[in-house]
Amino acid sequence: MSTNKPLPSATHISAPYWKALQDKRISIPQCQDCGHWIFFPRRHCDKCWSQNLEWKEVKGSGTLYTYTIARIPTLPDFADEAPQKLAVIELDEGARINTTLIGVEESAIKVGMRVKPVFDKVSENGTVLLRFTAADNDLPSERDSTPAAQAAAAQAEAEAAAAAISKRQIRFDDEAAMKALVSEEYSPWSGQVVVDQELINDFARLSGDNYWIHTDAERAAKQSPFGGTIAQGALVQVLQSRLTIPLDFEVTGFNNMVNYGSDRLRFPSPVPAGSRIHARSRVKSVEKLAKGMQVTMEIVTHVVGSDRPSVINDLVILYM
Amino acid sequence: MGLKGNAAIVGAAQYKPEKYATAPQMFHLEQVADLAGKALADAGLKSSDIDGMVIHGPQFHEAQVFVPAMAAEYLGLSLNFAEVVDLGGCSSVAAVWRAAMAIEMGLCQAVLCVIPSRMAPFGPEEDPSWMMRAMRFGGHSTAFGAPEAEIDLPYGHMGQNTGYAMIAQRYAAKYGYDPVAMAKIAVDQRTNALANPDASFFGKPLSIEDVLNSKMVAEPLRVLEIVMPVAGGAAVIVASKEVAARAKNRGACITGFGEHLSFKSPTYAPEMTDTPIGPAAERAFKMAGIQRSDIQAAQIYDCYTITVLLTLEDAGFAPKGEGMRWVREHDLTYKGNFPMNTHGGQLSFGQSGTAGGMSQVIEAFHQISGRAGERQLKRCDTVFVSGTGGVMSEQGALILQGA
Repeated sequence: MSTNKPLPSATHISAPYWKALQDKRISIPQCQDCGHWIFFPRRHCDKCWSQNLEWKEVKGSGTLYTYTIARIPTLPDFADEAPQKLAVIELDEGARINTTLIGVEESAIKVGMRVKPVFDKVSENGTVLLRFTAADNDLPSERDSTPAAQAAAAQAEAEAAAAAISKRQIRFDDEAAMKALVSEEYSPWSGQVVVDQELINDFARLSGDNYWIHTDAERAAKQSPFGGTIAQGALVQVLQSRLTIPLDFEVTGFNNMVNYGSDRLRFPSPVPAGSRIHARSRVKSVEKLAKGMQVTMEIVTHVVGSDRPSVINDLVILYM
Repeated sequence: MGLKGNAAIVGAAQYKPEKYATAPQMFHLEQVADLAGKALADAGLKSSDIDGMVIHGPQFHEAQVFVPAMAAEYLGLSLNFAEVVDLGGCSSVAAVWRAAMAIEMGLCQAVLCVIPSRMAPFGPEEDPSWMMRAMRFGGHSTAFGAPEAEIDLPYGHMGQNTGYAMIAQRYAAKYGYDPVAMAKIAVDQRTNALANPDASFFGKPLSIEDVLNSKMVAEPLRVLEIVMPVAGGAAVIVASKEVAARAKNRGACITGFGEHLSFKSPTYAPEMTDTPIGPAAERAFKMAGIQRSDIQAAQIYDCYTITVLLTLEDAGFAPKGEGMRWVREHDLTYKGNFPMNTHGGQLSFGQSGTAGGMSQVIEAFHQISGRAGERQLKRCDTVFVSGTGGVMSEQGALILQGA
C-alpha cells in the first residue's frame, strides 16, 4: 500500500510520541525544571533550555485555538478529505498542536470549543495521526482511515444502496422508454477501489506499461510532479468493471449485449498510487439501429473527493 | 541606538510583473547584472561606486552556496561587505537596513540590494518539473528531522493560505470580522493600481462585490484577498551621504528599522493575533524619533488582506481590535487621508516571489523622490514600509525620509 499523502517519519527525538499514538496514548515531553510542556518534541525545553525532560502522558483534552475550512485542497492528495477542517488545538497543558477536526459539522465549529482526541490509523504500517473532535461528540476514540478500510466501508454502503433501489425494468426494444433514460444528471456514486502500488505493478506486468512514473516509487518521489507514482490511465479505465454503479433501471428482453468500444476516452487527471477511486454514469444517447438498440453510457471515474475526473469513457453498448 | 539616517536609497529598478508562462527566462546571475545596471543608471552612479551587496540566497538558480562571491565575480565588483538574506517576504526590508547599517559602520559606501525572481532557463540535464515539486508543499520543509515535515504536512497543514486564514479566523473570534472592510483594503489598493501602468491589474477596476463574490479559498479568505504570483525581480542602491550627494534623485534616507521573529508557524506564537511587526515597528519609530502621525504614506506588505489589517493595528496606526472600523473610516488611496500601498500593493501589482516586498520599498522611494506619476502624493517626506515573510513569521519595518 502506498499513498502520496505525506506521512510522518519518526526521528530519534520524536519516536516516543508516534509510538504512544499507536498505543492510543498521547505522550509529550515535559521540562522537569520549569514544568513547561513541549510540543513539538525537542531535545531541550524551549522555555528554559533545560535538557532535563521526561515523556509524560496527557489526556488530550483541550480547546480549539483556531481553524479554517480549506475550500481548495492544500494538496491534490488531500481531496478525499475535502473540505479539510484544519485546526490548531491548545491542550489543557498549554501546548498547541496542528491537526484536523473530524466528525464535526462546519456550523458547529467555534473557536474556544472543547475538544477530545481521536486516534486515526492512516497507513498499513500502523501510523496513527492525532485528530480531534468536539468533546460532546459520541464519535469513537479510534478510527481506521487507511484507504483499504475506507474503500471497504464505501463499497458496503454502495452495495446496500444498490440493493435498496427498486429497479425499473425497461425492454431494450421499447424505443421511447429507452430514449427517456437519456439524462444530463449522473447516477449516485459507485463503491470504491483502492488503486495501490501492487495493483499498478500487476497491471504493468500484464500490459507492459511499466514506465517509471507508474512503477518506480523511489524515482517518482524525486522526479514526478505528482510527488510519487500514478496509475496507468488504462488501468483506471478497466477498473470501472469493479465499481458497481447503483442504477435505478435495468434493460431487459435482449438476447445479446455487445460492448462496442468507446466513442471518447480521456484521462484528464492522474490517480496517485494509494488513491481511492469511484465512478458514476449517465445515459448520454440512445439510437435505434437495424441491428438493435445502441446505448452510449458516459462513465466518469474520479479520485474520491476530486472535482476533476480521472477517466471519461463514452462506452457504446449494443443490445440485440 | 541605531541608524543616524546617513544612508539613503538613491536608485531602483524592478521588472514589470509578468505571468511566469510568458516572462523571459534569464539566469539569476544575468538578472542580477541587468537589475543592478538599471538601478545604477537610475541613481546616476558608476559600477565602481558599488562596494557592498545584499542578495537573496535561497532558490538562487546557479548556486546553493557562495552566492555573493559568484555574483560579485559575474558583475565585476569588488566588495567590502557581502550578505545573504533568507527572510522570505521580509527580505527586501531586511536587505535595505542591513545595507544602511554596513554603510553607517563605515564598511562600505554603496550597496546593491538585489532579488532576482524570473525563472531561469532549464538546462539539458534539468527537469522542468522541479518547480512543481519545489512548490508542492509551499515553503514547508520536507527534510527528515524538520518538525513541520513530521507534524504539519501529514495533516495537510502546508502552504500559506490556510495559515493566514487561521490567523484571520482567530482574529474574528476575538474581535469580530467585517468582510466588507477586508474587501475595501483590496479595492482601495486597486484604485491605486489604476494609476500605475506597471501594475498587473492596471486598467481592471475592482468592486467590493467582486471581492465578496470571489471564490472562497480557506475561510474567511477569498481569492481576491490573496496575491497573484508573477515573475519579476528588483534591485535598489543604498548609498552613503557622500555618494548620495552625487546621485540624480532625492534620496530616501533610512532613519529607522526594526525586525522581529520567533517562530515559523504562528501556531507557536504566544498569541497568534499579536504579530511580530509590533515590536519591529516600535523599534523603527523610536529609532527615527517620529510619531505614527508623521507618516505620509504606508507601504505595507500585503500577501493577504489580513496581513494589512494586522500590520495597521500592530504597527500602531489603528487601535488593536478596531482595524476593520479604522479601514472603513479611512481612504487608503493615493487621494485619501491614509495613502497606503500607493502602487497598488502586491495584491494589485502582483507578487514576484521574494522580490514582491521590494515593490513596497521602491514605491516609497518613488514617492519620496517625486517620481510616482499620476499617483504622486503632493507631499511625501516620511514613509513607513513593512515586510512579512512566511506566515507572519518574520516581519520588518523601515522608516524612510526624504533627504
